[in-house]
Amino acid sequence: MDLSLLLDPYILTEVLVQGSVRGAMYALMAAGLSLIFGIMGVNNFSHGELFMLGTYVMFFVTVILGWPWPLGIALAAAVLFFFGMFLERTLIDTLRRKAGRDWVLDAFILTIGMLVVMQNLALISFGSERRGVTGLISGVLVWGPVIVSYERLMILGVASAVGLALWAFIRFSSLGKAIRAASQNPEAAQTLGINIRSIYTITFGIGAGLAGLAGGLLISIYPAYPTVGFEPVIKSLACVILGGLGNVPGAILAAMLLGIIEAYSAFFMSAGWQNVITAGLVVLILIVRPSGLFSSSKVERA
Amino acid sequence: MTAVAVNSRAADLWRSTPVRVLKVLFLIGLLIAVPPLIDSPYITRIFVSAVMLGVLAAIFDLMIGYAGLINFGYAGFTAVGAYTAALGTFHYGVSPWAGLLTGGLATAFIGLVTGVISLRLRGLYVALLTFFVGEAIRFSISNAPEFTRGMLGLSVRPFPELLGIDFGRGNLLAYYYLLLLLAAAIMLLLNWLVRSRYGLAFEAIREDQLATQSLGLNTTKYKLYNFTIASFLAGVMGAFYAYYLGILSPSPEEFGVYRTVEILTITYVGGRGTLWGSLFAAFLLIGLQEYFRSIGPWRLVIYGSLLIFVMLFARRGLSSFKKYLW
Repeated sequence: MDLSLLLDPYILTEVLVQGSVRGAMYALMAAGLSLIFGIMGVNNFSHGELFMLGTYVMFFVTVILGWPWPLGIALAAAVLFFFGMFLERTLIDTLRRKAGRDWVLDAFILTIGMLVVMQNLALISFGSERRGVTGLISGVLVWGPVIVSYERLMILGVASAVGLALWAFIRFSSLGKAIRAASQNPEAAQTLGINIRSIYTITFGIGAGLAGLAGGLLISIYPAYPTVGFEPVIKSLACVILGGLGNVPGAILAAMLLGIIEAYSAFFMSAGWQNVITAGLVVLILIVRPSGLFSSSKVERA
Repeated sequence: MTAVAVNSRAADLWRSTPVRVLKVLFLIGLLIAVPPLIDSPYITRIFVSAVMLGVLAAIFDLMIGYAGLINFGYAGFTAVGAYTAALGTFHYGVSPWAGLLTGGLATAFIGLVTGVISLRLRGLYVALLTFFVGEAIRFSISNAPEFTRGMLGLSVRPFPELLGIDFGRGNLLAYYYLLLLLAAAIMLLLNWLVRSRYGLAFEAIREDQLATQSLGLNTTKYKLYNFTIASFLAGVMGAFYAYYLGILSPSPEEFGVYRTVEILTITYVGGRGTLWGSLFAAFLLIGLQEYFRSIGPWRLVIYGSLLIFVMLFARRGLSSFKKYLW
């Protein structure tokens, strides 16, 4: 590979644009995963299955019912929001009350069980064929030598809008403040009259809703099939670690960064090595800076 | 009154040491006698899978159940053992008998390195780090097809003849008894380990790392021991798997997250920190899977539901029922 190609401004722009679209995809998933981790301490390994359910809702609404695609995306988010709250209240909440002090690792194992069940129920209900929806928006933007489809730009736009809305919600709304209080000090928040159980349920619902939204939004790239969630969950897990566990803005930044790094590495070597690079990067960060790339505070390491 | 007394006397007898010895001997007898008596390759293969996964789950239990370390890249670690052994035999003509050792040593080395870099972390962080280490190993194998043949599959020579016993792939029983010997050695080693002062140290670390440290125990050292020993044993099992199977490919079902989840479920269903529970759970789960083979994905739904059920309602797994049977 000719390294001087890297300095070519057109190629540089092309890689940057492709990388940010890819990053925006990861960011949506990573934001929900990071939110759940930050507030509840739970590493939701079944996040990819919530994404998968989102793709099926999208397919059902747009293809079977024939409704317009923005409605499909909205419904995917809404359905998963309620389903997420249901899962939290029936399973995770039960575990929290049973397992006591060290429930976090157990919750991780529990979500693995949820993953296996959801994935195979989907396989039983829908079969293994891929059901995609293509061409939500047609046409491409040609800007000099850079070519991007409008659909990918829409993904970038929606992801940015959702990221911003999430930030504003957590920052300014009273529920958002309660959520932050619950994550900083659950006991103190409880004495101030915040219902921790409800906060956890709503938080998991929001995280699941974001996964559903991502599933609906990305259906042209990730069609609906039972194991579609695997790649998104691995990538978003990587972003969550790179950004610092539980640090939502950090996870979004890391997602953009990872998208661009992957776009670059895809330019230089066969696609298979991308995964090695991602995994290597994550391992490196966990060794050197377990608190993530963007954090100044220290994570409990003892 | 009398009925109760009689019952409790019967229960005492049932739990007395000689009866327990008889029960253990009976179970060992079943393991040795059932496959040749039934004499069907299908049953023998199920027994091989169950013993292999049971021992792998017991090794997993050494980490999670005794020291609270979760190796979520476990299948990737067994891949190191399998591929080191198989590649050594394939490219350099290393004897498969030596391959069992090289596989173990290579995995122990990876375990040591992973242990060193994850020492600063705990709980979930260890899980995440090991997960990505495991994935990096698996992707590296599949991305170097010129050396490992990647997803095309690497064919592995069977064990050569030893002491007049033919280890051709057709002779399944030879592989089964070899596995039983390996399993016995590994289980006895694990059993000795968790009852030694090392085992006490592991459990102390699991319960309270800070308190263990302030008692003057070097927690870092013990965690490294635990991780390295477990990795060595997992590597030996991986190497056996390679020679038994005859063809390796780095698929997620064999060396990725699915296999790790399978083993982890066996450990949890067997009961954390019980060691022997894993073997029983392996026979239960592999048996269930085979029994329900006709219902396809439903058996995995049962598998996942069982894990959820154990996490929520039977937190000590099968070992909760031990008092009725043992």
